[in-house]
Amino acid sequence: MDRTLKTRLEAKLADRLTGPVRQRQDQTEIRVRPADLIEVLRTLHDDPQLEFTILADVCGVDTGDTLQTVYHLWSDETPDWLRIVVDGLPREDPRVPSITSLWPGAEWSEREAYDMFGIVFEGNRDLRRIYMPPDYTSYPLRKDFHLPDDSARGPGGGVRHIEQPYAPVAGTEHSIRRTVKA
Amino acid sequence: MTAPAQPQQHPSEDDPRIMLDGQVGQYEQVPPYPPRTEREAEFYTLGDGEMFLNMGPQHPSTHGVLRVVLKISGEKVVDLDPVLGYLHRGVEKLCENSDYHHIISQIDPLEYVSSLFMEWAPVMAFEKLLDVQVPRRAEYIRVLTGEMLRIASHALFQGWMALDLGGLTPILYSFIERDEIVEALAALTGQRMLFNYFRIGGVNGDLNHEFMSRVGDWMSRALVQHEANIGLLNENEIFVRRMRGIGKVDRDMALRMGVTGPNIRAAGVPFDVRRAHPYSVYPELEFNVPVRGTKDGGDSLDRYLLRLDEVRESIRIIDQCLHEMPDGPVMARMPRLMRPRPGRAWAAVESPRGLFGTYVISDGTDQPFRFRVHDPSFVHLQLVGMLMKDNLIADTMAVMASLDPVMGGIDK
Repeated sequence: MDRTLKTRLEAKLADRLTGPVRQRQDQTEIRVRPADLIEVLRTLHDDPQLEFTILADVCGVDTGDTLQTVYHLWSDETPDWLRIVVDGLPREDPRVPSITSLWPGAEWSEREAYDMFGIVFEGNRDLRRIYMPPDYTSYPLRKDFHLPDDSARGPGGGVRHIEQPYAPVAGTEHSIRRTVKA
Repeated sequence: MTAPAQPQQHPSEDDPRIMLDGQVGQYEQVPPYPPRTEREAEFYTLGDGEMFLNMGPQHPSTHGVLRVVLKISGEKVVDLDPVLGYLHRGVEKLCENSDYHHIISQIDPLEYVSSLFMEWAPVMAFEKLLDVQVPRRAEYIRVLTGEMLRIASHALFQGWMALDLGGLTPILYSFIERDEIVEALAALTGQRMLFNYFRIGGVNGDLNHEFMSRVGDWMSRALVQHEANIGLLNENEIFVRRMRGIGKVDRDMALRMGVTGPNIRAAGVPFDVRRAHPYSVYPELEFNVPVRGTKDGGDSLDRYLLRLDEVRESIRIIDQCLHEMPDGPVMARMPRLMRPRPGRAWAAVESPRGLFGTYVISDGTDQPFRFRVHDPSFVHLQLVGMLMKDNLIADTMAVMASLDPVMGGIDK
């Protein structure tokens, strides 16, 4: 846990943070609004006291209620991993600016998050499905996309519908709705 | 008069039974369908004298099942568009529906030539969620087996590299090297490829006699064998001339493209997770982080040579592990059923291909709520499109092989 990173982040980003800087073990987490994302990442990348040059990961998260995008960065200036969470994206129309202008290498990761969660990255010039076929219509990693045997987890369940060759998007009456406060 | 019977509405358009309704063909569109993105429109518009060529999905030098659509003009590659998903099995969704122990075996086949690293990252993330202290002996065993597998993976890379350029001999020799390591690990774990050996809080079993005798046997001539394998290719003028100068990655491009592992070190950036964000017992071990490439960046030959440098460093690490291996238990005391408190954890390891990371969200149940896998090959494959512009078709394989992608990890 790098306490000085917390003070540095609070000083540089100030009102762009939507919550307190959280620290646990070797990770520091900040939360920002989608509109501020590019500016925040540019500050983190360019500021000589921060210099987060390596983009470790871009991913989407479905908390069950809303969607998030999560970025992990590395810098030589701190022993911590930095996690940036953009939360509160509405399920119906999740939109977040693309970071391909800063890290062009995020293009495929953003395509993957679009494929799996339906998050639209505005500014990504190649936002099409990457794993699933082009005519696919649902978003498999969303929490309302239930696997065929999810009902086994509910009361009265226990039978695996192996003969059912597709994954029902709506879930069954026994499927459990999972949410998390993330 | 009754209305004509409507076809039955299915719950999802992804239902394969829809195909039975006489709509075959509607779902089998291939380009040119109307372009969906700006980039696709640009790519699928042919210029003067250009044509498309599909390489794969069964092409032997794509290291798995990858289709690359090449836009070519004569022998020159103008642009290319990799098509992924042939090996996609939804491992993230599978892991979100498996309990924490089960994930270790689910995630094993991602990068099937270095599967211990695929176990290492999630196991580390779970240990962070559970606040477990791993016994030192277990950490040493993890480093020992991991570094052995890194050598096996790099040996295989050397063989593949030559094979993709048309040389058959080196792969036969590098398989000897790989086989000795894999047989030793099989004596320890019971498996040759998908080891399923690491556990949350330690490893599955202590070192046994057969493993130790095999490792001792192999270590006594590891360096000599390695030097002999190097001699097969590094002095070969055809090989060197073929690799020199193609697929140049410079420092800035490597950082902006999110490249990690040997590929970024060959471009002159000394980023190695083992040193940049130390984990396990790496801070206690002595080894160098080899860097290659000039200020203009590194080419395919640099990436090839860098991996050979790494093998020597790995042999050094193994030597230290064997000498400094502490006594003690190999597993922490763990409950059978794990329910970590709600929280989030990210853990990354340096796999032979680069930064392999996992991000786990726990909701307090015995299954992770979100399980994200970051695979380095996935990021590296993006480079091929940039590197291949205005190069020869035949060099596509050389450049792709020098990035060392494994499709199992890319497609997840």
